[in-house]
Amino acid sequence: MNQHLTNDTLIDYLHGELRPQDDALAHAHLAVCSSCRQARDAESGVTDFLRAGAAAEEQEFPSLVAAAVWQRIREAPPTPLARFRTFFRPAIAVPLAAVLLVGGWFASPLGHGSSGGARSIDALYYFQAHAAQSASSPLSEHSGMPVDETSMNDEAGSAAPLVDQYAAYALSGGINAVR
Amino acid sequence: MTQYGKATYNFAFRLTGNEADARDLTQDAFIRVYRAWRSFVPGTSFLSWIYRIVTNLHRDELRRRKGRYQEELPEDNAPQEFGGQRPLAVTPIDDYVERQVGEPLSKALAQLSPDQRQVVILADIEEYSYQEIADIMGCSIGTVRSRLHRARALLRRLVERAQHQER
Repeated sequence: MNQHLTNDTLIDYLHGELRPQDDALAHAHLAVCSSCRQARDAESGVTDFLRAGAAAEEQEFPSLVAAAVWQRIREAPPTPLARFRTFFRPAIAVPLAAVLLVGGWFASPLGHGSSGGARSIDALYYFQAHAAQSASSPLSEHSGMPVDETSMNDEAGSAAPLVDQYAAYALSGGINAVR
Repeated sequence: MTQYGKATYNFAFRLTGNEADARDLTQDAFIRVYRAWRSFVPGTSFLSWIYRIVTNLHRDELRRRKGRYQEELPEDNAPQEFGGQRPLAVTPIDDYVERQVGEPLSKALAQLSPDQRQVVILADIEEYSYQEIADIMGCSIGTVRSRLHRARALLRRLVERAQHQER
């Protein structure tokens, strides 16, 4: 390197921020160039001035600051997260979890002691029995009107057979018997 | 706080140039550290993280003060006695700093802009690398380098002048 080093290069050199090849070139140049060494010494003087001044002006950490920090932390209103955590303390969280667990048990199929498939069969049975009962006695709970089982399962036209049955029942004197 | 208090306070003192502002800045920084400690990335330097908080708080404070002075002094009320060379908003602070700082380092650092001061403190006093300074200040390495070069050019002139006066 024949060119003199700039102050910017010297600053980076002194801070160890040059690339390895540039650092080696600068180092080699400083070994043979007195004017660049002088410039480097001037830059080093600035660094020494700053470090010596920093050491001379070093201050102790004021205890008042620490006390003020702790006071402000204590006085600060709790954050939403802190409030949430306070709410879910063990004293509240444990009974709440127990209630949720018991509620979940009764709400689940396990709590009923039967499976989902069985429940659907029960419903079907109920509807069939209820329809049969209604069909057998339109005006009274207990009458001897025969039930047409096939009409109960006819989803599309279940109303028509019921009307027919009722007409037949009336003609046979069933209504009079009820009266 | 016991471990990092002194370093943080001295960093704040060099940034602000006076004890009262340094105390406030350190106090605000530790409260911020306490509230945001979950955002600290384990494995990284805790002191660098505190310095980043101090740097950001100092920048915010300077912006706030600048805005406040600009509000208090409307443009059409610019004083004529200063010849329009310096805005009045800067003068009281400069005068205050001039009166407060007596030490050579503080006096020299007071001549720099806040950004240049931060870079010089971190690079030359705290001995951080350019990359670490860039991380602390939230800027690029190129910006760190150019700020440091400009700041040191100014400091070099100040040191040379001081040495010349001593002779």
